[in-house]
Amino acid sequence: MTGIGAGLLLQLGLGALAVVSALAGAPSLRSRAGGILCTLIAVTGFLTGLAALLGATGGLLIPIALPMDPLLLAPDRLGGLFMLIVSGVGILVSLYAMSSTRGPDASRTAWAAMPVFLVGMQLVPAATDSVSFLLAWEIMTLGSTVLLLADHASRATVASAGIWYSAMSQLSFFFILAGFAVLAAASNGTSFTNLQAIEPGSGPANVAFVLFLLGFGGKAELVPLHVWVPRVLPEAPSHVSAAMSGAMVKIGVYGGLLVCVRLLPDGPAWWAIAIMLVGGASALYGILQASVSSDLKVLLAYSTTENMGLVFLGLGASMLLRGYDATAAADAALVAALLLAVSHAAFKSTLFLGAGAIIHATGERNLDRLGGLGARMPVTASAFGIASLGAAAIPITSGFVAEWMLLQSLIHGGRLDGAVVSVAASVAMPLAVAVIALTAGLALLTFVKAYGIAFLARPRSVEAADAREVPPLMQLALALGALSVLALGLLPGPIAALVANTISSNPTVAVQSVGLGGVSLPGIGAVLDPIILVALSALVAIPVIVSIIVSARRHPHRTIDLPWGGGGSRARPRMQYTATSYAEPLVRVFDDVLKPSRDVQVTHVAESRYLVEHVRVEQRVSDVIETRLYRPVLNLFQRYGIVVRHVANGSIHRYLSYSFVALLIVLIVVSL
Amino acid sequence: MFETFYPQLIGLCTGALLLTSALMVWRHSLLASIRLLALQGVALAALVAVIGIAEGESELVLVSLLILSVKGIGLPWVLAHQSKASIKQIQESPRLNPTAALLAVTLLTILSYVVVSRVFGLGDTTTGHAAPIGLAMVLIGFLLLISRRRARSQLIGFLLLDNGIATIAFLTSGGVPILLEFAVSLDVLLVVLILHVFAGRMRTKFGGTAVDQLRELHD
Repeated sequence: MTGIGAGLLLQLGLGALAVVSALAGAPSLRSRAGGILCTLIAVTGFLTGLAALLGATGGLLIPIALPMDPLLLAPDRLGGLFMLIVSGVGILVSLYAMSSTRGPDASRTAWAAMPVFLVGMQLVPAATDSVSFLLAWEIMTLGSTVLLLADHASRATVASAGIWYSAMSQLSFFFILAGFAVLAAASNGTSFTNLQAIEPGSGPANVAFVLFLLGFGGKAELVPLHVWVPRVLPEAPSHVSAAMSGAMVKIGVYGGLLVCVRLLPDGPAWWAIAIMLVGGASALYGILQASVSSDLKVLLAYSTTENMGLVFLGLGASMLLRGYDATAAADAALVAALLLAVSHAAFKSTLFLGAGAIIHATGERNLDRLGGLGARMPVTASAFGIASLGAAAIPITSGFVAEWMLLQSLIHGGRLDGAVVSVAASVAMPLAVAVIALTAGLALLTFVKAYGIAFLARPRSVEAADAREVPPLMQLALALGALSVLALGLLPGPIAALVANTISSNPTVAVQSVGLGGVSLPGIGAVLDPIILVALSALVAIPVIVSIIVSARRHPHRTIDLPWGGGGSRARPRMQYTATSYAEPLVRVFDDVLKPSRDVQVTHVAESRYLVEHVRVEQRVSDVIETRLYRPVLNLFQRYGIVVRHVANGSIHRYLSYSFVALLIVLIVVSL
Repeated sequence: MFETFYPQLIGLCTGALLLTSALMVWRHSLLASIRLLALQGVALAALVAVIGIAEGESELVLVSLLILSVKGIGLPWVLAHQSKASIKQIQESPRLNPTAALLAVTLLTILSYVVVSRVFGLGDTTTGHAAPIGLAMVLIGFLLLISRRRARSQLIGFLLLDNGIATIAFLTSGGVPILLEFAVSLDVLLVVLILHVFAGRMRTKFGGTAVDQLRELHD
């Protein structure tokens, strides 16, 4: 057996052990044992994925009696990359969950579902035939659903989120199943090698492409299939949201790549344009919703939609450019999309874990009631801050490198040797650049809000004022996450070169590692070297900082007591900007898209109508797609359901009568 | 001698089967239904014995003894296995009034004759001519299943249905292999025992076995 096969087998064994220990173990040891075993699973997956990414072959063959190709788990380089992403997030989440879970989150069921979820996510990218892919997909969905429902008894919203999640997951699964069925019928086989034989532009391939886009798009939170995201990710326990957003969503991306890069490469141009449209719309819609949200976890959830939109935008751009033989730019765009997926896994899981730490300390996820946590929770604040930089795509973090590379490929991709490659590309690329520019700006605004309102200024509630730093193990997970964000941002060259291996047989043409971990795009002629950048800015900044300190030392510190505060000395926390007020101008600008509902209640003093006792302002931004698209469909189904309830009312006589009548009809028809 | 009587014997047995089926629909008392079921079992056993003698197969005679013991004696005994006093009081109030039910029986019998003659053809043999009776019994059993409220009356419908299937099998192909027949009979006996215990539990738990009052399960 090869190393990869052994790694996969070890993961399965550890997973079974973790389930048994969660079900049979003592409650006091459950979190510890579960956390350690889940970390081991993730570490094994990390090593297996790394081996596959570096080019090791081999796998696990599972013979079955059914008349189809045998189940084979043998990840290629691309699969290895996604195993690496998933297990990296898995390590953080397992470490974090070991000390963060309490109450229903640490129940027997929750800890039994955790390894199932982790192993399921590992097996999807390892699968090399549609049956084992679907099987692993369902294991993953099952595990995540159970984890989501951990707290269903005490909060009604969790149950509702569970129903949305199950319905949307099953919809995704149905589309993917149908897509594979179409391909399998056309190619007479279920293994990926058989499916690859299909001509990408043919009828079945087109049908399968649309089905796959719907299925994987649903898992990757793309608009308009994202409706489960703002319900599910906020309601799940934070470590589960981190795993879902950081890892599970990437499996949706992997699905997209599997279809467009591996199974049906070089598809027609409309595939690429469809993916770009869906990706661009998701990016814009996601970040708009995120920027006006005042619930920290809803904000992070919508930001996930934005990032996945960008990943798909990159994928679509790469497909379009490849169609016009702009190979270097196409490869760069694809590497950028993959890097964005990697960096999103790093910063978004850290952000969700940070949000979990805030909830752990204050029990509050409404930004309008937080504030001043920076001084009270320094480790959480720095980790969340670094991850926010990554999410806002600020230099020296991972997010920046990916967006930089994507922009480079889009800007230079439209031209090949000075000539325009096609009209479609020269229209699509500038539009895509505009979308990325707008999302980048809004993302900056969003994460300034998320970090600034939560961690800076003065506490806006008693809970925030009483916050304490979280336990060391949670701090460790947060610090590891933040470090990975920085490492990916400071050493983009080797990482990009490694990632480029997964999609191209000749990766050095597209992406090279130069200097001290810098990255170069030879086909485009762009170079980025963050370490040199940091060193240069340090060269400028250090003398300035030193001179400021020195000059400050010269003047002795004086305490000034204000003779008259001018109102400033009576500033109360309620006078600070809140998340809602910070986003208010944005809501005003995008009023037509967001359709917010405002509720202002003014209570007057009893003696005089001219004096106001207090004002209460409430602003809700509902998901337009949910209210306009899903509600009517759901209402239709509900009406149908009410009618059907009369037909199937639970009476056994009625059911027997149906079969009797059916039998009689059959008899009469055959004798006619 | 036997040759001349053979068609009449077959007619007699199948007629008895159809008559008992129709009477089961007509009568409402559980005890009467059980007695009719016993009678039907005996008729079925007789039918099998007649076919066996006519075809010269000793195996079928053995089967007829088996049927007599299971369907003629065993099952009715299990069903009636409680004090005669209490079982006499059980009166079914069916969902179909007797006139409509008998009319339905007539229509079902006609339908089964039409179906068998059109689809399979009645054939030239005596047994082939009688085959529609089996289908009619199946349909009547189904009718009993949907028109009776009590679990045990429905059980009788189920057994009638089973008898119908056995009748078709014997009339068209000289019966199923003995081993299969043995196994099926035992299975049916087992099902009846289980359902009987189940109905008893239902009665003690809910105070009745009227199935359409058990509507709590549907939500």
